Amino acid sequence: MSLTLLEVLLIGAGTYLIRAGSLSLGSRVSWPSWAQAWMSFVTPAVLGALLGPLLVLPGGQAVPPLHNPTLLASLPTAVAAWKTRSLLWTVAVGVVCFALIRPLT
Amino acid sequence: MLSSAVRRGLQDAAPVALAYFPIAMTFGVIAVQCGLPVWLAVLISVAVYAGGAQFMLVSLVSSGASFAATVATVLLVNLRHALYGTTLGPAVSRWPERSKWLAAFGLTDEVFAVTSGRLLQHPPDPAAQITLSFTCYASWLAGTVAGAVIGQAAPAGLSSVLNFALPALFLALLLMSVTSPAHLAAALTGAAAALVCTWLHVGGAGIVIGAILGATTGAGLSKWLNRGIPGMVPPGDQRHEPTCNP
Repeated sequence: MSLTLLEVLLIGAGTYLIRAGSLSLGSRVSWPSWAQAWMSFVTPAVLGALLGPLLVLPGGQAVPPLHNPTLLASLPTAVAAWKTRSLLWTVAVGVVCFALIRPLT
Repeated sequence: MLSSAVRRGLQDAAPVALAYFPIAMTFGVIAVQCGLPVWLAVLISVAVYAGGAQFMLVSLVSSGASFAATVATVLLVNLRHALYGTTLGPAVSRWPERSKWLAAFGLTDEVFAVTSGRLLQHPPDPAAQITLSFTCYASWLAGTVAGAVIGQAAPAGLSSVLNFALPALFLALLLMSVTSPAHLAAALTGAAAALVCTWLHVGGAGIVIGAILGATTGAGLSKWLNRGIPGMVPPGDQRHEPTCNP
């Protein structure tokens, strides 16, 4: 737990320095356009990297798709995300679908 | 009596603070369900204060990712906040340095969006900006505490179903941040890299490798798709995603 605490504090300090440093220096430096473009792709890349193993290898093991409730429930969840564009509705729809699908797999 | 700057800050904060509360509550519930103690869930909101990144942090901690991979991944995700500071920097160049460092703490995605939207009407004023920042922060903290307490009280049957909340949330964040084929390519490359690394039993490093490979693929593809259009802004620059990612 103390390691997690250290992670949280380091990430908090780093995030603050990114925000404050750039605001303080903001009038003096500018980012090259390639760096700006690159940073805007980090979030989808990390979300993909987190989701891939979560969906395809739940619990770190390969599961046949039809016996994988996480993967199956992600389909209606993705539709809900696309349609509602709302974080809360997506989580609500997703959890209900997961609860319904899990006993069937 | 409130000064007009403070009142303006509160007005600007209202919609963001209203949106933050339920999202922070979701964070509190998920963090506790993933096995974090209540105080740590709250501390994450206190110290990190960045929605999408906080959910990623919980996912990495609960999946046992290494120290280096966890810190590197979350900071890489938050690196884009440097763009916000750089964008607003010229508008606050006359502020006292202390006000800049105070206001910067609350410069989340949504606060940046509100501030940069207002920039043309009136340049940011330290009192208004600090009021805006810390009102939103207060809502985020209150939501986290409420969620963590609720999450702890949830019965065991409910909590096993709530295991799906985190993948559902990442799917929502992903679909909101995918605004072009290049963004989709970034996500798919990240997923493929992480899967290969998990398969090779180096899963923690997979997130960092996936982030770097995915972002590079997305940026490269975006550049290639927009080649020959001088002055074209890469699609990635037009974001940022709406309500979910402080």
